[in-house]
Amino acid sequence: MTTGQPAPAGKPVPLPDDLTAPYWEGAGRRELCIQRCCRCRTFAHPPESLCPACNSPELRFEAVSGRGRVYSFTVVRDNVTRGFEAEVPYVVALVELAEQKRLIVVTNLPEADPERVRVGSPVVVDFEARDGMTVPQFRLASDDR
Amino acid sequence: MNASLRDRVAIVGAGYSSLTRRSPRLLAELTVEACDAALKDAGVTRADVDGVATVPTMPAYGNAGSLDGADVVSVGYLIRLLGIGHQVDWYTQTPGLITSTVIDAVNALAAGACNFVLVWRAVHMPRGRYSNFSRPGAGGEDQFRAPYGWTMPAAWQAMAYQKYFADHGAGREEMGRFVVDNRANANLNPRSYFRDVPLTLEEYMASRMVAEPVCLYDCDLPVDGCAAIVLTTAERALAMGRRGALITGYAQTTYPSTGGFTDPENMWIGGGAMGQKLWAAAGVGPEEMDLALLYDGFSVFVWMWLESLGFCKRGEAAAFFRDGHGRLTGSLPVNTSGCSLGEGRLHGMAHLTEAYLQLSGQAGARQLPNARRAVVTVGPGSWVSGGLVLRAL
Ligand SMILES: [Zn+2]
Repeated sequence: MTTGQPAPAGKPVPLPDDLTAPYWEGAGRRELCIQRCCRCRTFAHPPESLCPACNSPELRFEAVSGRGRVYSFTVVRDNVTRGFEAEVPYVVALVELAEQKRLIVVTNLPEADPERVRVGSPVVVDFEARDGMTVPQFRLASDDR
Repeated sequence: MNASLRDRVAIVGAGYSSLTRRSPRLLAELTVEACDAALKDAGVTRADVDGVATVPTMPAYGNAGSLDGADVVSVGYLIRLLGIGHQVDWYTQTPGLITSTVIDAVNALAAGACNFVLVWRAVHMPRGRYSNFSRPGAGGEDQFRAPYGWTMPAAWQAMAYQKYFADHGAGREEMGRFVVDNRANANLNPRSYFRDVPLTLEEYMASRMVAEPVCLYDCDLPVDGCAAIVLTTAERALAMGRRGALITGYAQTTYPSTGGFTDPENMWIGGGAMGQKLWAAAGVGPEEMDLALLYDGFSVFVWMWLESLGFCKRGEAAAFFRDGHGRLTGSLPVNTSGCSLGEGRLHGMAHLTEAYLQLSGQAGARQLPNARRAVVTVGPGSWVSGGLVLRAL
């Protein structure tokens, strides 16, 4: 479990902006909050200014189940990102959230054995504390057993 | 594109600077070398150039600067170097990729805005790693990527490989067969970085992993260099008695993805829609192509384009290359010069110059016996990609 464990110093920390602040504030409450259109109920991520489906400006963040499946993934062997030097090899996965097709969130699977990750593997959200911020991080649902 | 634009404009010359991993010479010098070579090949001189166009961007990642003449070569910079400011009637600097630039040039020439357009793409390999992310904070689109160590193009595109492999039961061995055949083409290309370096499937399978399942040989080859082409109207080209490649049709992708490269599906959606527009614009179909020059910033793009353009069904590209259909002797030779994977990363110029060389019968040892029509794509299929159909003049 990554919960409460401070990450190694130096990994990039997200810089929230007006559009994305509620996403990161939600993560701080240990909730995965995804933007949703009040008119047509379509989810959007990364956050949008207008709903791409119906163009409504009324988009609100709501907590989602935090469940999904690995849509695709990679195991990074040749690191170029600050702070990830000691992590190599590490998994980066695209998670398709249960709420909507092709609603995708980027994550690591910090606790997972890279050899056991598959396209389609069920995953559950978790959270990692990092330099005063909280970053959503998923884990393999099969690791919960 | 309206049918009235078909075959109105031709590529009549191509030229290269030296292509090396890191050149001791300034990018400006390499650019002048490529442009003068293209003009010479077209049978014209600097005095004939009244249109100029380029993409003065990239390398945009990591440690790249934007110093004109060293990191990029802008229209203004080159006009000054060539001393043609007094005679240029039309120019553009397009964002995105070189297909947009060529499309603008076609439109300008067909409209009568100018007579000879010089198009170049100069690419500088920055010092250090190409795509380092070294900042402590990640804003904008990076805030959803960099905190997860997902900051390099190879790791972004790895998602497309993994999804393709999982969806269609293919794997690195099939990809390796394409890359190995592609290297054999590069071995027949005298300006290719890998001209003297063959590649075996065993070497591909054992090569260094960058971001699984992407290995070193799946990535295009960063170089210092420039390629240039010269375009003019079909009437003028015929009057000059030039060999060349007529631009029969063009199209661009119009499916922007959100949040960067978050969904490889956008490559098929965007590429497929572009393919339909391209064949409609050109008035011909995939079955009439004699060769295909498909963008290969990463090897998987070639598979996706082959399917997006309708040369085979989705999921069939792996078998297409495994069975050798893409070789010089195959049913549809693909990337006959080795393109970006073998010649070097000039962001689509290798594809344009090779279409011109094959269609004008100047491709040397790799010349196809009956190359009359070619298709070129540049980009990953999603936003900013473009395509051209060309035929022998
Ligand atoms: Zn909506």
